[in-house]
Amino acid sequence: MKKILSVLLMALIVGTSLFAAGEAEATKSPITIWAWDPNFNISIMKDAAAIYQKAHPDVEFNIVEMAKADVEQKLHTNLASGTTDGLPDIVLIEDYNGLKYLNSYPGQFSDLTNKINQNDFLKSKVDVAKIGNKYYSMPFDSGVAGFFYRTDMLAEAGYTAADLNNITWDEFCDIAKEYKAKTGNYFFANSKADGGLLRIMLQSNGSWYFDKDGNPYVKDNKSLAEAMRIYKRFIDEDLAYPTNGWTEWVGSINNSTVPTITTGVWIIGSIKAASNQSGDWAVAPCPKLSASGTNASNLGGSSWYVLKNGKSNADAIDFLNTIYGANNNFYQDILVKNGAMGSYIPAFSGVNYSKADEFFGGQKVYDLLSQYAEAIPAVNVGEYTYEADAAVMANMEAYYNGQSIEETLEAIDAQLVNTIL
Amino acid sequence: MANEKKINRAGWFFIIPVASLLVIFLLYPIFYSLYLTTTRTKGIVTNFNGINNYIKLFNDPMFFLALKNTFKILFLQVPIMLTSALLFASLLNNKKIKFRGFFRTAIFLPSVTSLIAYAILFKMLFSYEGIVNNTLLSLKFIQTPLDWFSDPTLATFVLILAMVWRWTGYNMIFYLSAMQNISGDLYEAARVDGASDITSFFNITLPLLKPMILFTTVMSTIGTLQLFDEPMNLAQSGTTSSMVGPNNCFLTLSIYIYNLCFKYTPKFGYAATVSYAILVLVAILSFIQFKISSESEKTVTKKVSKSIK
Amino acid sequence: MKKNKMSIGLIISYIILIVASFFSLFPFFWILIGATNSSVDILRGKLTLGSSFIDNMKILFSEANMGRALYNSMKIASLTVILTLIITSMAAYGFQMYRTKAKEKTYTFFLLTMMVPFASLMIPLFQIISKLKLLNSHSAIILVSSASVFMIFFFRQSFVNYPTEILQAARVDGASELRTFVSIFVPSMKSTYAAAAIYTFMTSWNNYLWPLIVLQTTDKRTTTLLVSSMSSSYTPNYGVIMVAIALSTTPVVIVFFGFQKQFVEGMVGSVKQ
Repeated sequence: MKKILSVLLMALIVGTSLFAAGEAEATKSPITIWAWDPNFNISIMKDAAAIYQKAHPDVEFNIVEMAKADVEQKLHTNLASGTTDGLPDIVLIEDYNGLKYLNSYPGQFSDLTNKINQNDFLKSKVDVAKIGNKYYSMPFDSGVAGFFYRTDMLAEAGYTAADLNNITWDEFCDIAKEYKAKTGNYFFANSKADGGLLRIMLQSNGSWYFDKDGNPYVKDNKSLAEAMRIYKRFIDEDLAYPTNGWTEWVGSINNSTVPTITTGVWIIGSIKAASNQSGDWAVAPCPKLSASGTNASNLGGSSWYVLKNGKSNADAIDFLNTIYGANNNFYQDILVKNGAMGSYIPAFSGVNYSKADEFFGGQKVYDLLSQYAEAIPAVNVGEYTYEADAAVMANMEAYYNGQSIEETLEAIDAQLVNTIL
Repeated sequence: MANEKKINRAGWFFIIPVASLLVIFLLYPIFYSLYLTTTRTKGIVTNFNGINNYIKLFNDPMFFLALKNTFKILFLQVPIMLTSALLFASLLNNKKIKFRGFFRTAIFLPSVTSLIAYAILFKMLFSYEGIVNNTLLSLKFIQTPLDWFSDPTLATFVLILAMVWRWTGYNMIFYLSAMQNISGDLYEAARVDGASDITSFFNITLPLLKPMILFTTVMSTIGTLQLFDEPMNLAQSGTTSSMVGPNNCFLTLSIYIYNLCFKYTPKFGYAATVSYAILVLVAILSFIQFKISSESEKTVTKKVSKSIK
Repeated sequence: MKKNKMSIGLIISYIILIVASFFSLFPFFWILIGATNSSVDILRGKLTLGSSFIDNMKILFSEANMGRALYNSMKIASLTVILTLIITSMAAYGFQMYRTKAKEKTYTFFLLTMMVPFASLMIPLFQIISKLKLLNSHSAIILVSSASVFMIFFFRQSFVNYPTEILQAARVDGASELRTFVSIFVPSMKSTYAAAAIYTFMTSWNNYLWPLIVLQTTDKRTTTLLVSSMSSSYTPNYGVIMVAIALSTTPVVIVFFGFQKQFVEGMVGSVKQ
């Protein structure tokens, strides 16, 4: 009995290895792409692939969808192990993580400096993957921030578009307070442990957790101190409706619990999910942090990177260039189909970008947003944004409970500096 | 005897198959990991770093937070779970109880669920509009639904409750088996002497169960110190949010290591250092548990012989 | 009066056991109910049967390819059981029946390795697996899982009270060591092997972190990975997830119920000190 079992076992193990080996033999390797989000990134990539295949019928695509965390983890394990077998050709990387991969695995990503016309893209996006004079990414979706609000709910409380245009965050807080007093409802939703708005505030001031050279910029960072002060206003004056995680946050606007949401343009898809609210939305520039700051900022966004050791490197670069680097119609289509705003500047003057959007009461939403996008201050996101974010949010609780801003900044700085060692 | 030596050598042949796998897949990574702790490694960029990683460890507030969280969970979950397991086992060891097979199966059943599945399950049970809140509301224990996952105390409570649910039955089976090895004569003698069920439990059962209690305590400690799957799946937004659970209450040592590799800039050397810190802690705790157990052996033998007389 | 005391004690015992059983079983009942409901209803805490079972099944098997995942989990778990039982019981036999100082030292050393957290081994392990060209293979999971120190420990504990005279007698009769092991020893430890099989099957089926790291494509994933990935999307479909959990827990439940008797017998055997 045992003998039979061991033979069976051997046969199975040998069989699987042969099977695996057999699969590796193919004539021309498909372009392998890793990305997340089936309704957004994956759907857009599939469309891009279809367009490219019309002109290049011999090119195959292998688009792999995984959760964002899995894409990140698999990229790490594959690059760290030094093997190239499992590497894709193209991978989607969130902008906050770009430099992290570029600097941790030098030489693994293709230099796209001379392959792409950087001037066609938003500077704030292009600079995310810039090292010295070299550029390593194909910029993708913009996270340009907008202050989206319900015209009907705010009009009821006596607010007009003019009241909400080009305001500061302090004014935003004042309005939130008034709105709550008048209607009994919260003005917006936010989790006190989420650093999204903080990052919007920082970038709008042209600042970040790091200076231009990538050194921690915390203790003397006036913008950071200001942003933290605003967060404390949210807590002290009970201005934000507390939500936990994505579903609750989006639920707060879909259920009309709150009338505003200030975040990246990618929220439009979720805003439009509540079809009964059509015609009642509008967008204004995101609030500015200080008088000297701008009303333009960014939250999130990703770019496509090419692995040098992928099996179809040349094809991958050509594909990205042809579609993402030059195809204006493509950008017009994904805007309407997926609510995806690219970072390709020539597309901004295209047909769909200047359309009046019924959902937004006839406002030319994307036209406005692309204007904001071109004004976004470029910052050096650096490799350690997530560490900085963790350090800041971990210490915010003490700050909310009364610790001085100086002490809090010291603690954040100490933690961040230690993390980078 | 030369023959004996030959026989003993044959024994090694039985060990070699698993040993070869262990050398490749366990020992090599362990030592490679140890080597990594002396390097400053960022992805594939490596520099020799001496003991700097260990110095960094002592200045790392996040490490201490993960340490605190892991220990908090450990000292709450393990005692509650093992006590419950002991209680259920002793109840089920009582031949007067009918339907023992059913109860035993019911309480053991949670152990067959995968760690992912039951974490997700509890996440749904304790969601804002979920069953637990609805039940508490209708029983008028609370006025408004509790936001279980935005308060660190509540969230930790859910985690511990889930772990107790999952592992009590598993440990109960170990205790039950050990109890069934205790001769009924001991209890008979005690009953003749007028001892109640409870006295018998404390003077006979418990002392004789000490080896098994030690075994389960050590295994549970090792398991909880390496806790990863459950808090990872209970935390809301995974790797894109700044915190693992409200106020980072779900940040355990293993999750911290995972983050150091895959969420933050990949510092494999430092991650290895944190993992060796866990190893040292586990070793110390196990050593302490063994010591306590053998110390009380002396007092235990006295008690048992007393109750038998 | 004594009779009353016993009754009260018994009543309390029953109450405790019934409450414990209820809380242990409720989530399973809830999974089955949830499997028939839509995502929205589940989040609202609906406790009655719904009508979405077929829809959930459709999505699960067509979009999420649950059939493949079930096959993968089954394959990995079965092969792991076979390999683990063979090599770890052999090692336990070697340690227990051929005791020498060297072997004891080796055994203790192996036991200590159980304290090393897996998180610290994953990167070097990944490197080795890639070098062996076993990346994204089920073999990587089977080979790593079957090198289980805990199973060696478990088997050894069960072998402690075995009467070694029988082995000695076989040796005198001229049987080889391996022959003795296979024909005499193993058949007498059936319940131990059964318990070990259940335990290994369960552990393998529910394995999460290592398969997560080593498997790269969706066609290779196990049910555990499938459930995890479904629940970490932006808008998880809880109805489908419930069906997945129900289906992926069923094989383990069947295995357990099938071998329950041997399992408890085997555990008793392993506990004898």
